[in-house]
Amino acid sequence: MKNILRITILGIMRDRVFHGITVAALVFGLVPVISQLSMRQVTELALTLSLSLTSFLLLLLSVFLGGVSLWKDIDRRYAYSILGLPLRRSDYVLGKYLGIVSFILLTATVLGIVGALFSYSAIGVYPPNRPVLWENYVYAIFFDVLKYALLVSFAFLFSTISTSFFLPMFGAVCIFFVGSSSQEAYNYVNSPEAAALHPAAKSAITALYYVLPNFGAFDFKTNAIYSIPMDYQGLMLTFVYFCCYVSIVLGLAVILFNRRQL
Amino acid sequence: MSHPLELSSVSKQYVSRKHRVDAVREVSFAVAAGEIFGFLGPNGAGKSTTIKIIMNLIRADRGTATIFGTPSTKAETRRHVGFLPENPALYDYMTGAEYLRFVGNVHGMPKQRIRQRSDELLMLLDLLPAAKRAIRSYSKGMLQKLGLAQAIIHDPPVLILDEPMSGLDPLSRVLVKELIVNEKKNGKTVFFSTHIISDVERVCDRVGIIRNGILKAVKEVAPLLREGIEAYRVRFAEHESSAEQEIMVSPDDLTTQMVAITSTGGTIRLLEPVRKNLEDFFLHIIRED
Ligand SMILES: Nc1ncnc2c1ncn2[C@@H]1O[C@H](COP(=O)(O)OP(=O)(O)O)[C@@H](O)[C@H]1O
Ligand SMILES: [Mg+2]
Repeated sequence: MKNILRITILGIMRDRVFHGITVAALVFGLVPVISQLSMRQVTELALTLSLSLTSFLLLLLSVFLGGVSLWKDIDRRYAYSILGLPLRRSDYVLGKYLGIVSFILLTATVLGIVGALFSYSAIGVYPPNRPVLWENYVYAIFFDVLKYALLVSFAFLFSTISTSFFLPMFGAVCIFFVGSSSQEAYNYVNSPEAAALHPAAKSAITALYYVLPNFGAFDFKTNAIYSIPMDYQGLMLTFVYFCCYVSIVLGLAVILFNRRQL
Repeated sequence: MSHPLELSSVSKQYVSRKHRVDAVREVSFAVAAGEIFGFLGPNGAGKSTTIKIIMNLIRADRGTATIFGTPSTKAETRRHVGFLPENPALYDYMTGAEYLRFVGNVHGMPKQRIRQRSDELLMLLDLLPAAKRAIRSYSKGMLQKLGLAQAIIHDPPVLILDEPMSGLDPLSRVLVKELIVNEKKNGKTVFFSTHIISDVERVCDRVGIIRNGILKAVKEVAPLLREGIEAYRVRFAEHESSAEQEIMVSPDDLTTQMVAITSTGGTIRLLEPVRKNLEDFFLHIIRED
């Protein structure tokens, strides 16, 4: 597993993905400019921009790497040579997964630092009313990484049953959008405005809410942006939720990949 | 002791929307320790399918494949196996040397040993100049040879090679054949597939002939070569100074003819067996129906 992890990261690096990220990180240069143009709430704006930009790049990475990685190995028949080695298929899948997640974590760290530096330079000029809680900034990015790690596991799950990259890529995008709005849908169904809704529709949405991932739970950006103290119990709960969910999805992916005919 | 490789009643059907292909039908055979077994058949005969089943890349519908008695569905059996896929694809962002190091690591070989074996094989297969180049830049033949190197880097007792000679120039073909024979000399078992008859003639102890997914025959190669002798071409001179004559002699008459020539003072200049072409034999089996 360790070996697969290592070569997966090597592969991502050699494919110059990191160069792309570096170029994209230059966009962060705009953060102080745009924030200062606004003249008001400079801190909030700078942090929002940094966190959103980081999140967006991580989304691209996870959909792209998660959707393509396994599919490419099967499609280009690299998997024949790799699985002819004394490797369990589970080790192969998990090694690849951890390789991608490690890379996403690395990217998040780099982008997080770059974003923080640019925000800091903006904030220096226009000091905020409340001091920035950088600890919250770190939590926000870390849980963003967990969110995308979960998304990558879905892309892997789709890769194990698909013969093209269409399903993994677009499946992951769909899961992302549905998962990001499932909390709102759930809240709506349980609000007084939804009284007219058919009970069957209500239970369907509620069922989906429990089955699909709830990406809203990973969003701690507001705590970072407005320096609102963290609810540590909430963090813990989300972390446990992540561990359970990702184990199930990856477990399923491994079972399906074990039965896969190459 | 159990065989290095044994298949019993292995069958595989590919099912797609429109077609059903019986790629392998009830194939059984056992490869003995220390022998070179050639798996010969025309394109589409089911060779690669059989090999993929052995390597657990696809699952047989029925039957089992075992490596030293353990079902090959278990990953640990591949510790004892070196595998070369048909037209191998190797991660092309790595260099040849890096790929060998990766494979050595997967096999849990010590660093020192990996380096030693890797240098040795790169040298042997004439890949040393390309060792530090990305695999992306390799030609088909170089890729094939690197594929072979990664299959034997851990010195496995069993080699399973799918068309090891394909895509190679004549010099490399000889190199690979020598390598296979060498592996046998070191006590290894080799199973390889091919569609080229002469590959089998030179190196194999036994040959299995497959067509349309059916194993038609399993034969020892040496007796085939011997039995194939139909006649001898004999060239002789009656006296020192007389002109050479040539006659064809059947194997049964050879001794008497030789005596007849030499007893009258003649000299034998040439004695050459005339074989029924091995190719004829294989083609006969393959064309049977
Ligand atoms: N993935 C597949 N789906 C459907 N048919 C296949 C597949 N792979 C191989 N076949 C068919 O199975 C038969 C055997 O193929 P193969 O084992 O590759 O032959 P060989 O290696 O002897 O040339 C052929 O008729 C081939 O068309
Ligand atoms: Mg083949």
